[in-house]
Amino acid sequence: MTVSSRLSSDNKQMVISINERFDFSSHQQFRDAYNNERLKGLTYILDLSKTEYMDSSALGMILLLKDHVHLYSGDLIISKPSATVRKILEIAQFQRLMTIE
Amino acid sequence: MPNSHKLALIVDDSKMQCKLLSVLLQEENYQVVVANDGASGVQMYIEHQPDLVLMDINMPIMDGFEATRRIKQLSGAGNLAPLIFITSMDNEQAFIESVEAGGDSILVRPFSPQVFKAKIKAIQRISDLVEQVKGLQQEQQNDAELAEKMMSGVIEARNYGLDKIGVIKKAATIFSGDIQLSALCPNGNIHVLLGDFTGHGLRSSIGAIPVTETFRAMTNKGFSILEIVSQLNKQLHTLLPGDLFFAASFACISDHERSAYIFNAGLPEGYLFNGEGEIKKQFSSSHPPLGILPQLLPDTQLEVVQIYSGDRLVFITDGIVEARNPEGELYGFPRFENAAIAGIKQNQLVNKVLNSLDDFCQHCEQEDDISLVDVPCSGWQKIEFNNKTSPEHLILNESLIDDEQTYLPTWSYHLHLTGKLLKTVNPIPLVMNQINDIEGAGEHWQSLYTILTELFVNALDHGVLQLNSSLKDSAEGFSQYFNERAKRLDNLAVNTINSPDNFVRITLEYFPLSHGGKMIINIKDSGKGFDIVDVMKRNNIAENDGIKLSGRGVELVNQLCDTLEYLEHGTSVTASYIWHD
Repeated sequence: MTVSSRLSSDNKQMVISINERFDFSSHQQFRDAYNNERLKGLTYILDLSKTEYMDSSALGMILLLKDHVHLYSGDLIISKPSATVRKILEIAQFQRLMTIE
Repeated sequence: MPNSHKLALIVDDSKMQCKLLSVLLQEENYQVVVANDGASGVQMYIEHQPDLVLMDINMPIMDGFEATRRIKQLSGAGNLAPLIFITSMDNEQAFIESVEAGGDSILVRPFSPQVFKAKIKAIQRISDLVEQVKGLQQEQQNDAELAEKMMSGVIEARNYGLDKIGVIKKAATIFSGDIQLSALCPNGNIHVLLGDFTGHGLRSSIGAIPVTETFRAMTNKGFSILEIVSQLNKQLHTLLPGDLFFAASFACISDHERSAYIFNAGLPEGYLFNGEGEIKKQFSSSHPPLGILPQLLPDTQLEVVQIYSGDRLVFITDGIVEARNPEGELYGFPRFENAAIAGIKQNQLVNKVLNSLDDFCQHCEQEDDISLVDVPCSGWQKIEFNNKTSPEHLILNESLIDDEQTYLPTWSYHLHLTGKLLKTVNPIPLVMNQINDIEGAGEHWQSLYTILTELFVNALDHGVLQLNSSLKDSAEGFSQYFNERAKRLDNLAVNTINSPDNFVRITLEYFPLSHGGKMIINIKDSGKGFDIVDVMKRNNIAENDGIKLSGRGVELVNQLCDTLEYLEHGTSVTASYIWHD
């Protein structure tokens, strides 16, 4: 399983982690990870610390997640991307669209 | 084709069994051929290409498993001639092995004729489905190839300067998500775009046509790169689904201004090389890809660089630097840069990069579209201006009034822009549209476009914004000038209280002539004006020293106009432009 998600016990945080490759093959898993989550005001943390590779369709998937988060008035934080992944996020200037830490 | 006879191959060393199965198959409308050992079974398969194979397991010379492996290897994955093992070995091992050897089913003796016929029907049904899928696949492939031909006809064939712009385009699937566009502006500038839609294949190519149309139409009408980018972004935002976007680099190359304007939204760094292959500058992405945000970010601006003869702009998409070799290593920027530099030295950048990439990847499967554009910054054909000119046309007498103008214009047009509109509106396409609407399109408007653009920019920059053009005389000052310009434009936009005081007014008057026409252009600005004689003198001195970077605009206008005069201490300029049919 390359995508895993976990809701914190206080129902305030949803952590989605992606192992190894984040590309079109994880499309369905990634959507399933958040799609049924309807809680308002959640902070979504996309944990990319274990992601080794990301392609542009992954960027598209992050944008879909962002739309979902906005729909339920939550926040989106991209957490601990590796240097390679950070470079891809920077080329797409995603730091201007969301928080990356 | 339900009535046509299908052909079955029976491979069995028992003549008795062969006879029995043949009869049953003939009752099901099959023609039958028979082999009595594995090896001749394979031979018969090659000769007859049957639609169905029945295979015994224990046979002399070659057993059924080995024969099946060979047959399946011959027929390939896409071509299913279903193969059924017929055996009396009723054990698990035989079943597992038969599937592993490539058998599609197994039938264990003894069985009744009814069970046998049911089995044949079932397996035939699956084989028919496979045929149907294959047919559909082929049809889709044909459609895709046809569509691809049409797409590249629309997109690439109409690009400008194809003989001068070097291009690499290797699509990962038939449809490329990458597009390369070039078009000529009315004033002779070149607009270039290299873009990459998310993903590849048909889905990612859909946006290419609207992008192409907008890019070309707006370039032809004289809109600037930033205006085109902003419009494309808006268009793609409404058009594309949420996860699809367009990373792209844009350039406007102005040979006569000796500058290039660059914008990178989401592509890897672009390069400016000089003729010796040195990297003079790199252009990092400064904006998210287009189609994500409803509007461009408010601080969006172009990078401006000076260009010299021999310079080249090179844009790439991530497919190049992310191409992998069999060991899984990335091609990366250093390899690309070395190949590009070697290529420029030999004047064959595209070939060098392609060869280096091929050597590195060694026919590994290509994961993403690979593209590059290599655009020379100089040597573009100058627009042919049909006006005969001499510097004496420049009239510096401030009190001179054109008395000959005794008859009235057939139409006139005024546009008075104030305050923040000076930052947000480009009046030139508006004006050109009016002219085209009233007088029809024509080649001769190209010169008029240049005159209007240069005079308007002068009025805005040196009049309203009071920028000193001598700043542009040095390379450092050049970028300082553009930074300062952006800052002052922002101030105009913010400072709404004083805004009506800042203005530029454009007036056109049109007089038809018996063979052609005459346009009188007046541009008035709210600036403080300048000492015209002084400026001309300074420019002449500078020109003789060969160091002048500014003032080319006025010179160009002067060459294009019939008359050009500055009035009211340089705050008003009147140009007349005459053309003949």
